[in-house]
Amino acid sequence: MNQFEFTSRQKRTFFIMMGIGLVSMLLTYFMDDHYKHLRFWTNYLHNTVFFAGLAFISTFIIAAFVTAWAGWYVLMKRIWEAFSLFLLPAIILFIPLIVGLWLGWHQLYIWNDPDVVAHDEVLQGKAGLLNRGWYTFGTLLIMGLWYLFAKKMRDLSLEEERNGAGPDFAYHRKLRVWAAAFLPIAGFLSVPLITLWDMSLEPHWYSTLYFWYTGASWFVSAMAVTVLLLFYLRSKGYFPHITDEHIHDLGKYVFAFTIFWAYLWFDQFMLIWYANVGEETAYFKLRRDFYPVLFYANIFVNFALPFLILMRNSTKRKVGTMVLVAIVVVLGHWVDFFLMIKPGPLMEAQHLAGEHATAGFVPGFTLPGLLELGTFTGFLGLFGYFVFKKLTEAPLEPANDPYLEESLHHHA
Amino acid sequence: MSAVVSPIREPLVRGHKTYHQITEDICAPTERTPGLAWVLAFTVAVAFLALYVFAVAWTVWFGIGTWDLNRTIGWGWDITNFVWWIGIGHAGTLISAILLLFRQKWRTGVNRAAEAMTIFAVVCAGQFPLIHMGRLWLGFFVFPYPNTRGPLWVNFNSPLLWDVFAISTYFTVSLLFWYTGLVPDLATLRDRSKGLRRKLYDMFSFSWTGAAKHWQRWEYLSLVLAGLATPLVLSVHTIVSFDFATSVIPGWHTTIFPPYFVAGAVFSGFAMVQSLMIIARKVLNLKDYITIEHIESMNKVILVTGTVVGVAYLTELYIAWYSGYIYEQFAFYNRVFGPYYWSYIGMMACNVLSPQIFWVKKFRRNIFLTFLLSIFINIGMWFERFVIIATTLARDFLPSSWSYYSPTWVEISLFLGSLGLFFTLFLLFTRLAPVVAIAEIKHILKSAGDQYTGPEATHKHEAH
Repeated sequence: MNQFEFTSRQKRTFFIMMGIGLVSMLLTYFMDDHYKHLRFWTNYLHNTVFFAGLAFISTFIIAAFVTAWAGWYVLMKRIWEAFSLFLLPAIILFIPLIVGLWLGWHQLYIWNDPDVVAHDEVLQGKAGLLNRGWYTFGTLLIMGLWYLFAKKMRDLSLEEERNGAGPDFAYHRKLRVWAAAFLPIAGFLSVPLITLWDMSLEPHWYSTLYFWYTGASWFVSAMAVTVLLLFYLRSKGYFPHITDEHIHDLGKYVFAFTIFWAYLWFDQFMLIWYANVGEETAYFKLRRDFYPVLFYANIFVNFALPFLILMRNSTKRKVGTMVLVAIVVVLGHWVDFFLMIKPGPLMEAQHLAGEHATAGFVPGFTLPGLLELGTFTGFLGLFGYFVFKKLTEAPLEPANDPYLEESLHHHA
Repeated sequence: MSAVVSPIREPLVRGHKTYHQITEDICAPTERTPGLAWVLAFTVAVAFLALYVFAVAWTVWFGIGTWDLNRTIGWGWDITNFVWWIGIGHAGTLISAILLLFRQKWRTGVNRAAEAMTIFAVVCAGQFPLIHMGRLWLGFFVFPYPNTRGPLWVNFNSPLLWDVFAISTYFTVSLLFWYTGLVPDLATLRDRSKGLRRKLYDMFSFSWTGAAKHWQRWEYLSLVLAGLATPLVLSVHTIVSFDFATSVIPGWHTTIFPPYFVAGAVFSGFAMVQSLMIIARKVLNLKDYITIEHIESMNKVILVTGTVVGVAYLTELYIAWYSGYIYEQFAFYNRVFGPYYWSYIGMMACNVLSPQIFWVKKFRRNIFLTFLLSIFINIGMWFERFVIIATTLARDFLPSSWSYYSPTWVEISLFLGSLGLFFTLFLLFTRLAPVVAIAEIKHILKSAGDQYTGPEATHKHEAH
């Protein structure tokens, strides 16, 4: 079973998921028209950023592993290739946000409001970056460039599959060049994009670590999604050569990057707390005071649980514990992005409307509700449909990859 | 470890070595009288060490006033040197612990020397905060213990105290890690020697016999220590960065400092490993074990970490602009265009721009260029710490206190002298212990020796 078959049952499931998502989004849009449908738009932005990030970080994972001459992962590389190609639909997902910015459909970003900027010296100073033009062309051009790399690396991988490894592994050597070149591109260009998408939701706040923190959150999520998908596909009889050894290594990645994520969380929080500069503490004060459940749950669910569960060797090799942790981690980091994205626009909108932000419960903001979960289900359905479609396009095991034998004989 | 090796990988042990030849090659430098090069180098190193002792004595006798610290400038070359040395002391544990976790086999060629270098660099680093106290004999005050000094107690809220814990822990674990690895190799040296030398090596190898039980416990201990060392690699420089970042000083208080300091530390550590190993492989005739492949791999790590540091520099500049906070903006304007602009240029040129030549494979494999660049990076990373410390302190919030700091001969002598301390220790090490881990090289021989893999392979590995 080296050729993946996308069954009609799976397709139906994904369509139902997308349907749930569509209904949820419509309900959100029409049920809640506060602040230009802010609940809908923040949900849309939240999921778009989360899934675009999964695609981006998967491209990064392939590039990093190829550059590091890793061998163990080769059996599962088609999965990350499929994830990385989602960059193209992700660009399309950004279009409504961009058009909305020009036509005033939403008020996600207060820097887009000329009246606000006219009375705000700090925002005037940032107007060189925080404007519609940069948001539009930054998103399209940078994501387009990333997609170009994802596509090129996929194409080289497929050519290798069709034509053999080539004289002196020509395809793989070419792949190395593209992979290495992608790493600095990812490192430098993710900074302006993450500023525009996330950080500028609270445009007075800034933190130099925010970009790496976001990247780490994506990384853990991508690894956890990979674990879930692999277990599902193995249960259907695919990937017969992926053993507990490979799962063990994926578990190590989830474990290690969980710690890395917590390390970055702590660095950002502790330094801002310690120095107590008002411009910076505003970010955490807002979350700690008005979003206490998510604020504390974030650390517990994304750090304590996976850390304690995956500490033992044996839990990284068992289906039960790995699936449990992977589900917890995917949802946990989705909530992490929720906490990054949702509070800012609400606060700014309340401020703009002359209302006082209070610690009261705001549906769809204080905690993710059913509509938020429904929207997530929809995006997950789209992502799953796209990934399964891409998996049908090539044999699952890359027969001509120079490291295939190493991956087949991998011992963790 | 898997015996199946992809044909695309290059061999890591050259010259069709047998197990016996490996023992002979690596033990040889410790068993013959030192050559002229070693004697000359050792003499120079000890001369600098003497300079160091003299400068420390001068500082203690006449006081910190012999340095150019004044007004707002509380830290100068001393803390610059401290951070520089601590940074260099990161490569060893990274190679032995983190690259072990990532199964990078090329680490075996350089891990022993890198770990030794780590320990010596931490020894050098630890000197500077103590000398900076001025009253060396009160150095033990940094440890919190029930004492008779009344209210005089350490400040647990201070990152400077966390540093004491972080560095002493790191030093302890690195030392244990290095020594544990040495035990079987010291036993190998013992088995080849006679008389007093044999007795000493027997003692230092804890009478290791090579029994299966010994190896089993040795493996287990190595695993536990690797587990402890991995978070320590990140923690040490993270906490050094807290010394700066917890403050409210613009240019110091920035959240990216912890991971960026760690990346910079790895970067400078690898540069120092390159500087040392390029000389060691030639002088000690270890070219079959520290091959061009090793040098190329390390150059790649240098390119990656140099670029990570570049991302961090630019992120800082960018956020200084983005913040809209005028003091932050001034601090960075001052760094780039202020009176210390030359150090900023030096930092950028050496750390970010110069490693970019390693995109070209030919340059990565060029020994002379690698050596030159490793020196560049050592200088650049020293500049980085100088930029952070001096430019920020020389111009603080109150323009009437602005001044310009330049070191006195005492401070310069302390720095040059610490190099003497470092090289004295390193040169002694090359005489007393195997510079390459014998047991670990033997472990990878069947999967990375050039008779088993690569274009010259004569033995094909057995099929599974």
